Amino acid sequence: MKPGSEKYNKVLNLLRESKPLLDSTDDIEREVVRQIMKINHRRITIAGVFDFLFGWVYIGWVRRCLITASGAMVLVFVFQQIVIIRRIDMLSKQIVVVDKGSLSKQDDEVERILAGYRNFGRRFPSKTARISEIQMKELLESVNELKIRYKEIDDLIEGDPELKKLIEKKLIENNRNNTNL
Amino acid sequence: MKRSSIKLTVSLILMLIVSCNDPETVVTNTVHTDGSVTRKIQMKSIESDVNKRFKTSDIQVPLSNTWTIIDSVEVNKKGDSIWIRTAVKEFRNIDELNLTYKTDSSSNRNFSREAGFKKRFKWFNTEFRFSERIDKVLSYGYPVKNFLNSEELLYFYSPESVRNEKENGPDSLKYKALSDSVKHKTDKWTGRNLVSEWIGEFSSLTKGTTDKDMSFQSLKSREDYFAAIIEKEDKHLDSLWKNGILLKEFIGEANALKFKTEADSALSVITKRLTADFKDYSVRIVMPGKLIGANGFIDSSKVLLWPVKSDYFMAEPYEMWAESKMPNAWAWIVSGVFLAFVLTGVIVRLMKKD
Repeated sequence: MKPGSEKYNKVLNLLRESKPLLDSTDDIEREVVRQIMKINHRRITIAGVFDFLFGWVYIGWVRRCLITASGAMVLVFVFQQIVIIRRIDMLSKQIVVVDKGSLSKQDDEVERILAGYRNFGRRFPSKTARISEIQMKELLESVNELKIRYKEIDDLIEGDPELKKLIEKKLIENNRNNTNL
Repeated sequence: MKRSSIKLTVSLILMLIVSCNDPETVVTNTVHTDGSVTRKIQMKSIESDVNKRFKTSDIQVPLSNTWTIIDSVEVNKKGDSIWIRTAVKEFRNIDELNLTYKTDSSSNRNFSREAGFKKRFKWFNTEFRFSERIDKVLSYGYPVKNFLNSEELLYFYSPESVRNEKENGPDSLKYKALSDSVKHKTDKWTGRNLVSEWIGEFSSLTKGTTDKDMSFQSLKSREDYFAAIIEKEDKHLDSLWKNGILLKEFIGEANALKFKTEADSALSVITKRLTADFKDYSVRIVMPGKLIGANGFIDSSKVLLWPVKSDYFMAEPYEMWAESKMPNAWAWIVSGVFLAFVLTGVIVRLMKKD
């Protein structure tokens, strides 16, 4: 039977018209679904992940772009750091003023701590206190008196080496006791 | 202004009332990352009368009853009471702070002052810039840097405490000589400013009514000559001006008679400008993050400090500025991960090639 012959064509038409008998369509459906699920649940391998992540290295233009971007990032970083270091260096050469009269040191320390807190976006809650003028006056007087007495004691200790030694000894003992506690 | 240099202005300057009510004031601006500013004004006074002490009109910077005020008193070594008033207020942004300058009722209200804040994102860091600017007083003046060298300029802008310390320190002779040199040159500078300002004012008052030889350019070309006369006749300036001798020397006899009123008006305007009463104070700035630039000084507590004196903004604006930066942690992490990713890719490629 040669292709193109009448007999050949008859057989071909017969085969075309006679559809296969599907007596178990459910089995076929199940098999198709199973095959599909198999594809989806293919095991994730390290090599697969690696290929997925670094597949770009085989694509020339992507590879070049990413390398250029990295280089630019490094250059920007280096440039910024050099500029900053130079500026800080220049700043450190500026005159340092010892201005004892402007503000008390204690005040500055509080200010710096406050600035530190604020730099991290925190805010101190505002508080209000009600205090009478007389109480305020008494408080101020007490504080000043305390300051004067403290200064007197400090001068006294500084002027007497033996007393200074004794106090230092006592302070060390106190510190030890506190540590033990 | 409290400077004294030319005799003509000396008499007026001496008339300035330097009140003992003037508190010693330090303004501290603590700048935050969001552009808000906590401003603290610390005033010290020895005035015992509570009604005279810390009057709003005596204070150098704007202050109102919306500020949180804390009063205290200290006793100095001599046993004198020093009254301290600390006023604090948080400004949500720079516009709010500038509003206080616009509605200024302080002793320095006649001077134009403005604060500025800029925040720039630069990927790895965010940079901040805060400034306080005082506009110049004179319209035709010369910058002081044209008259002083770098060492003298540094001395000129130094706080009083530094000057005193240097003049009484181990190199006292050197610094006293430097101080004298600065004084001599700044006197010359003031004289030149006076002449330049007078020429400018006089020209604008006589505009369109004078000949070519009286034009601004013509007068300006003779400025050196005018300045030399003023310097030479320093001691007799008042009488020479009153008698019209000085004006005749400047613009000729005929013009001196014709424009006497304009010349006097111009002088009146500039003496008013030169003798405007400004009360000195100090400004401190605390910036967020790490400080990377500033044009001020650094005090003992590592806080930026600027003295504010009238001389500093006589002929050019005086800007006190500070810049700082804060690292953007997230940008560093993102950049690090990206670089590691690209580097690994390159290594993988090289390995596979082999």
